[in-house]
Amino acid sequence: MTYPVKGEHLYKKFKKQVVLDDVSITLNEGEIYGLIGPSGSGKTTLVRILLGLEKADRGEVQLFEQKPTLNAFRSLGYMAQSDALYTELSAYQNLDFFASIQGLRGKEKKARIRAITKSVGLENDLKKSIDHYSGGMKRRLSLAAALVHEPRLYLLDEPTVGLDPLIRKEIWLLFRYLRSKGATIIVTTHVMDEVTQCDRVGLLSEGHLIAQGAPKDLMEEYGVSSIEDVFLAKEETRK
Amino acid sequence: MTNLLAMAHRIIRQILRDKRTLALLIIAPLVILTLVWYIFGAKTPEPKLAVINYSSSDYLSAFKKSDYLRMSRLEAVQALADQKIDAYVDLKDPVHVHLEGSNPQRNGIAMTKLQKSMTKVQKISINKLKNNLTGVIHQQQKAIAAQKQAMQKMTETLRTYAPGILTSLPQQQASGNSNAPKAPQKVELNVSYLHGNDNLNTFDAFGPAMVGIFVFLFIFMIGGVSFLRERTTGTLDRLMASPIKNYQIIWGYMIGFGLFVIVQSLILTCYLVYVLHIYNVGNLIDVLIIVFILSFSALSLSILLSTAAKNELQMFQFIPLVIVPQVFLSGLFPIDTLPRWVQLIGNLMPIHYSTEALRNIMIRGTGFSGWGFDGAVLLGFSLVFIVINILVLRASRPLAV
Ligand SMILES: Nc1ncnc2c1ncn2[C@@H]1O[C@H](COP(=O)(O)OP(=O)(O)OP(=O)(O)O)[C@@H](O)[C@H]1O
Ligand SMILES: [Mg+2]
Repeated sequence: MTYPVKGEHLYKKFKKQVVLDDVSITLNEGEIYGLIGPSGSGKTTLVRILLGLEKADRGEVQLFEQKPTLNAFRSLGYMAQSDALYTELSAYQNLDFFASIQGLRGKEKKARIRAITKSVGLENDLKKSIDHYSGGMKRRLSLAAALVHEPRLYLLDEPTVGLDPLIRKEIWLLFRYLRSKGATIIVTTHVMDEVTQCDRVGLLSEGHLIAQGAPKDLMEEYGVSSIEDVFLAKEETRK
Repeated sequence: MTNLLAMAHRIIRQILRDKRTLALLIIAPLVILTLVWYIFGAKTPEPKLAVINYSSSDYLSAFKKSDYLRMSRLEAVQALADQKIDAYVDLKDPVHVHLEGSNPQRNGIAMTKLQKSMTKVQKISINKLKNNLTGVIHQQQKAIAAQKQAMQKMTETLRTYAPGILTSLPQQQASGNSNAPKAPQKVELNVSYLHGNDNLNTFDAFGPAMVGIFVFLFIFMIGGVSFLRERTTGTLDRLMASPIKNYQIIWGYMIGFGLFVIVQSLILTCYLVYVLHIYNVGNLIDVLIIVFILSFSALSLSILLSTAAKNELQMFQFIPLVIVPQVFLSGLFPIDTLPRWVQLIGNLMPIHYSTEALRNIMIRGTGFSGWGFDGAVLLGFSLVFIVINILVLRASRPLAV
């Protein structure tokens, strides 16, 4: 078993606020890992540290079982919580650029762009400028930009926020398809019905990873019927 | 390499699709330069002047009717108070000038005109003096002539009556007009110019500095904001989470913007030289090279400063800090008399060097020897900024080596 990404004893402080306190997380190849927790619990920070966009004050990160290198980034798809697109450009030009810097060229690039826009349902809006995109369309394009180069590891920060249930369903279908091809996905989310679709979840509360495991196992262990209740139960035992 | 080109390609696309930015880059400098050209390149306005107490004055001929209104004292005082005239001259000896005085520029042009008239007044009074003197001389000459006649008569009498005495007397030369006044000397100076000519107006002198300021300003704003957006929208994070190298990001910016800078500086310089007819004896290519290098330093500096800004407003707050001092210390105004430390700050400013180089090229017509040093300094600035930029990017990508 290989570990696409592994963080050990991560500790992060912003000024005086401790945002992550001794968080260890290891992803298994070919799983969808859901990172859940209330707003401000440190989900985004954890994802950014795993990516190397932020440096942990203590602890260590490994990508594909070695210290992160630029080359490892080739196999990595990141979607930030904000859309992070070039608003002056058209959707196609955005994807074209992100595909180019990921090393895609020529025919292969075009084919990938066509395939990925179909999966997120934007194939008819490629010529439009991002300025004229709705919020949900931007979100989908942003997701497409993270997927376009078919990486082995996906780090997606709230990929489905602001999308309608139908599209959300399709996107999760896409995630499961990617997983079937051996990709590893870590998503942060607030939506509870998405949580149950994850292979494993990690519960983050005020910088502590308070519980980790398959959703079913967690609910059984705490004798509750939803992950939210696991949170509540855990909070109670801590007090 | 392909990453670099993808980066540059994207920036070119971005600017091309953003018509406003494109207009700001290309058209705005032209419009502003044209305005500046009208302001500084215009003919200096004629001062409005008047004379009083002129009727009995000998100097009136120095104050031509076309240049000086004839007024009574009361009229003149009123007109001066109403700012209808800039100054009036009281011709009652000694001549006295009353200036309106509230606008230094108008004072200046009034005084220049008045000084011209005053030299004429001086000439008149010298002539008067000379006339008086020649009158005296004439009378004396007459007296001398009379004396001479008397002498002549005496000699003749002597010759007839006592010729022996004459030989011992010195022979008096027949004096002509030896003490007649010489032709008056020309008063004006003959001036020759090492560089430029007497048609060089303020705009010609400002022009080189202006080119630098506008190119710097617009590249600084647009480059800084577009890199800032890269940070604030999170696209930079996307780049950081991709295999692109730090130097490829920065140089991609340089190349992408560089293309527009070439177009911009070509249009700008051609407009200045061929449409506004700014004084230029140098090589246009040299001008373009300097403008190009300058904009590199503007772009790299703006990218660097965008690191310290959280939003567009904060980016624009750098303009008074970075641009305005450069305008004043760039050589638009003489800085030789400023304190040493101010001059030292001036030496740290890119526009200072571009102005120096462009003046050498456009007004003094020097070749590479005249701008090589300044160009090298500008390149040095750019390289330093670029290296710092790359290091800053490296710091925001702590894990990847
Ligand atoms: N750059 C930063 N400087 C200072 N504090 C920060 C910074 N980034 C995050 N924080 C703080 O760290 C804490 C965790 O932030 P983070 O963005 O990781 O939360 P999150 O779990 O992603 O929340 P959300 O669900 O709202 O996205 C917050 O309290 C936030 O204020
Ligand atoms: Mg977040």
